[in-house]
Formats: sequence, C-alpha cells, structure tokens
Amino acid sequence: MTPQQIALLIANAIAGSLWIFIGQNLVLLNVFAELLSGGGLNLSDYLDSASSPSFQALFYSCVAVTLIWLMTTAKKSPINSVEVREMRPTWWICASVLVLLGWFYQLVFTVLISQFSGTAPVEGVEANFYPVPPGGWVTLLVLVIFDVGLLFWLPTMLASPKSYRLVVPGAMKFLGGR
Amino acid sequence: MNVFAIGIGGTGAKCVESLVHLHAAGLITDQAGKTIRLGTFLVEPDQQSTLLARTEIAVDRYSKLRKQLGNATEGFAVSEIDHYGSWSPLAGAKPGISLDQVFSKPVLRNKASGLADLFDCLFPPEEQTAELDVGFRGRPPIGSAVMSRISLDEAAQSGEWKKLLADIKTASGSGDPPIIHLFGSVFGGTGASGVPTLGAMLKTWLQQQNVLKVKVHASLLLPYFDFDGQGDQGIGIHAEVGNFQLNTDAALQYLSNNGKSCFDQVYLLGSDIKARYDFSIGGRSQVNDAHIIELLATLGIRHGCSLESTKDYAYMISRGKEDQIDWEDVPDNGVVGTALAQAARFAVAWKRNYSLEIDAAQSTPLKEFTSGAPWIRKYFSISEESITKSEGLPSIRSQEELALKQAIDGYAATLLQWLRQFSRNTGLGFKQELFTEEQLTNDETYANQLHNVVRGSAKPTLAVHADTVDRIKIQMDKLPDPEIKFRGVAGVADSLWKLSIQPKTS
Repeated sequence: MTPQQIALLIANAIAGSLWIFIGQNLVLLNVFAELLSGGGLNLSDYLDSASSPSFQALFYSCVAVTLIWLMTTAKKSPINSVEVREMRPTWWICASVLVLLGWFYQLVFTVLISQFSGTAPVEGVEANFYPVPPGGWVTLLVLVIFDVGLLFWLPTMLASPKSYRLVVPGAMKFLGGR
Repeated sequence: MNVFAIGIGGTGAKCVESLVHLHAAGLITDQAGKTIRLGTFLVEPDQQSTLLARTEIAVDRYSKLRKQLGNATEGFAVSEIDHYGSWSPLAGAKPGISLDQVFSKPVLRNKASGLADLFDCLFPPEEQTAELDVGFRGRPPIGSAVMSRISLDEAAQSGEWKKLLADIKTASGSGDPPIIHLFGSVFGGTGASGVPTLGAMLKTWLQQQNVLKVKVHASLLLPYFDFDGQGDQGIGIHAEVGNFQLNTDAALQYLSNNGKSCFDQVYLLGSDIKARYDFSIGGRSQVNDAHIIELLATLGIRHGCSLESTKDYAYMISRGKEDQIDWEDVPDNGVVGTALAQAARFAVAWKRNYSLEIDAAQSTPLKEFTSGAPWIRKYFSISEESITKSEGLPSIRSQEELALKQAIDGYAATLLQWLRQFSRNTGLGFKQELFTEEQLTNDETYANQLHNVVRGSAKPTLAVHADTVDRIKIQMDKLPDPEIKFRGVAGVADSLWKLSIQPKTS
C-alpha cells in the first residue's frame, strides 16, 4: 500500500467514524425526522436505543470486512489479470453481505430484541417493537446502502493495494482512466 | 568498435549462437563499456547442419527484433548485429562431391602422376571417396586439403566474403581497431582444419592489404563431448571419439609451432567431463545441445575487447569444484552473471507472462482488462475506439505492436531454448549451479515466480514471495511518467528488462 493510499484510508476512517457516531444522527433528527416519527415513536430515544447501535454494528462489520479485503489482496500475488479480476465477484459478495447485514441489524434493533424480550420499547404503545413508519424504514434501508458505500466501497476503492488497485467497481473511472 | 566473429564447423556455429545471446544481453563491449557492432559469419560445408540452422535462427530472430525495435529501447536488445551469412568451402560443387573430385584425381593422374601418388599416400581410398556434403567427417586432413584451396583474394571479389572483408577493411580505419575472432573445435574435422587455416589466411590477407591494426583471435575448443554409440558401417568414414585426442594433439602441436602466424591471441577450453551426444554423421540429425563450454569460449571475445587483454598469447580457465560449475568459475562473473540472469529472467517473464497478457488483451474489453492489469495504462491507450494510437499512446491491438511482440516472442523462445540446453547438458556426474533448467521452458502457460530461474551468486537477493512477475508489474504501474521513455510493446520490454534484475543492495 502506498503512503498516499494509507493517508486516504485514514481520512476515510475518520470521515466514516464522524458520520456514523455523530453526523448520521444529526441528519436523521433534522432532515428525516418527519419520515421516522409517527405512531408515538420518540425519535431521540429511538436513535439512542436502536438506530445508533445498529449503524455502529454495521460500522464495525464494514471495518472488519474492509481490513480482511485489504489484507487478502495485499498478501496475494496474482499470476495474471484474469486472477486479479476474479476478485471482483468476491468484492460484490462482500458488499452484498454487508448491506444485508446492515438491514438485518436494523431489524434486530428495531423489532427483534423487543420481540424476544417481550417488552414494549415505547411507553404507552403496546407493540413489542419500535413503530417506525414505512417511509422511515425506506430511509433506514437506503442509509444502510449509503453507509456500506462510505465504509466499504470507498476505502477499498481508494486503498486496494498493488495489482488490485483498479479492480473495485468505479476504481477505473475515478483512479485509472486516462 | 567492430568485432567480426567467424564460426567454423558445428562447434563454431554453436559458439556464434552463444555469442548472439551474450551480445543481446549487452555483454560484448569495448574498453569503455560501450556495446560493439558485431558481425557474424559461418563457415560450414554441411549446409544441412541443424547446428548451423539453429545459429542462423538465433541470428535471424535477434536481427529481426533489432530491426523492429530501432531506437525504441535504451536497455533491452540495443546491441547491433550484422550477419554476413554462411559459406561452404564446397560452395558451387555438385551434390555428393568427394575429395578425389575436389582435386580432379583423374586429371592429376594424367598431368602430374607424382602428385597423384602423393595424394594416394596422404589420403586412403575411403577418405578420397567419402561424400563431403555432411562435412569433413571428423578428419582434419580432408578439411585442411579443401580449406587450403580457398583464396581470400578471389573470395573478396564476390559472395559472402566480399562484404565481410570489405567491412573489415573499412572498420580498420576507425578509431578502435577491429578484432576478428574465430571459433571452432580442434578435435573434429571442419573446425580443426578450418580454424588454423582460415586464421593464417586472414592474417596473410590483412598483411597483403596493409591492414595491420586488425587482430585475429580464436577460441579453440578442446574435447568436451563424446558420442553415445558409433555410426553404422554403411555410412562410410565418420567422426570417431577415439580420434578426438589424436586430432587435438595434432592441432595443438601445429599451434605451438605456427600459432602466431594464425592468431594474435587464443583461448583454449575443454572439459574432462564430457557431455554425451547421440552419434550423427552430420546434417539434420546432428542436434547437439548447447554447452557451457561454448558460452565460456564466447567470453573470449569479451576478454579480447577489454583492458585486461594483454600481450599474452594463450588463455585458459579452470573451475573451482571437480563436479560442478558455478558463477565463480565464469570470468568476470559479477557482470556476466548479472547480465545473463537479467536475460533469463526477462525471457521467462516475457514469454510466460507479459506476452500471454498482451494476447489476452486482444479479446477482452480494454477497460475490463486494465482493471486487472493497471500497468498497461502506462504503455498503451485504453481507448476502445482507436486501433492505432490515442492520446499519444499506441493501441495494444495495432498491427505494428503485435508484430514487435511476435519478434520479441521469437527471440525470447530462442534464448530460453539455449539457456535450457546448456543448463541440462552437463555430462554424467557433473552439475551446474547457474540456472534451473525446469524454469526455462517455452510453455504457453503463465509463470509468476522468478526466484529459482537463476541460481548461485547471480540470483537476486529478493525474498521468494517477492520475486515475482507481479512485483515487476506493480513497479511498472508505479513508474513516474518521466522514467518511461518508450511506450507500446517496446516500452514494456524495455521496462521489464530494467526491472528483471534488482541491484544486489536491494
């Protein structure tokens, strides 16, 4: 990995952390509040108790998968361009798994934990889950895709090492095109 | 500086084959370290000889490569070569000519019966009637008789000799006096008779022409191979292992008495451990592999051009271990080993990776291909639209680029064949620690590891996992634009040549 790639990776990690731990909640509170509120849901309480932990779980998953990707590609010594390109389906599998995992985390923290514990998370509402309206669900699911882009696609595109540096989707367009 | 190399007989041709590869690796240089202009010429009565054909293929492929490259590289294949062709001392004779026909024995008998009797006395009937299309059949007296009929004054008027002698004369007027270097065995037929005879003729001719600055050197090969089996009775007289020592003794005796009238310097090389070749009377069946002795003999030219070359007449070398040759046994091994290691690693990396990658790029969308091979962006346009040139870079699919790639493929294949042959052809109980034979294949399969191509002290000091073609591709991808002076296939080959070897300190 080149010094430039390491710098970009650190910058990306800082930006990703700031987004997940601070920025995303501010955006949800101030921009998407209307879509998320309703059915008696206390948005601030929901963000603290369910949304933030689910996105933080996604953050750690993305960091882990990104590190595995970078270490795997750094260790490999591909024999030819075909062998390099053979890693692209693996990348797509990783990205897809992370998106599905992110959606699953939303489901776990918004619905399943309360369901299994048998408690109602919102006072005055009998439902054993956070009553997120459909528009709110769409917002959360789209945010998961955005976060995977920020936390997996961007660092792997910027910092995939050696012969793999252009194999991540979009790398040719942003880094390799003449 | 000009060097004119003349290979005489099968072994002489093999030495010239070796010389082409050393020259291509940039090892034949003048005193200032600049590559010299090399002229090659082959003397062989057996025009069907496989050894002659193999050498001509090597010369031809390198010449074609040079022609296509022009000045498009600064490290790879920059040495100039000029081939004057091959010439037979029986040129123009009818097929199946024998010694008694060369000397017109019936005419001799009628006009000078005394000479005819002397002829009968010198040559037994089987030597007089043996067909000479396959060479001089391991009999130096036959060769000497035929060779001594050559007149260089006459030869200089036409054919292959004309241009060679004219160029020698012209080169003698330049700053550095040229060297004529002869190669041949002293234990067979053609070499043993041709090398001293031609050496003496050339020296005489140079004196007659008042071209006294030109030096005549020779690498003389003493016995270094044996035959497995012997010829059938039906094939007539032929080279016999039993005669090798006798022929050598006679040749060395001649040299000790008359050597200085033939050569200014000689390099004598042989081996007590003999390579084994299948018996062949000559022609296409003579497929003797290249041998390390021929490489060492060729290094005589390098020595002759260097400052080390003194007024001594005869040079010999020896090896350090009884059953092995390694880089320490090779003269000037620091430079020679590095250059040969570079050539071998280049040939493996090119033939078994880069060339296959360029082939693969022909049938894959270019942007898709580039995503797996970032290095090509430095050398080729990745625009699909253009098949010639775009943004100052040639297309990887242009006919000129593919023709050059084919020329490099051809030469790399020849180089690998030569390296592989001399790596395996060591003789019973003898081994070499120079190259790994198994790594020097011409397979159309990808290779990545370069670590074991070269052995011993010439081997780069990279770790096994780091010594790969992939590492070179990554280095190419990282090369700053000003460091890439040439683009296209020539640029790739030039960068690969430079990156094929790592300085010892890395």
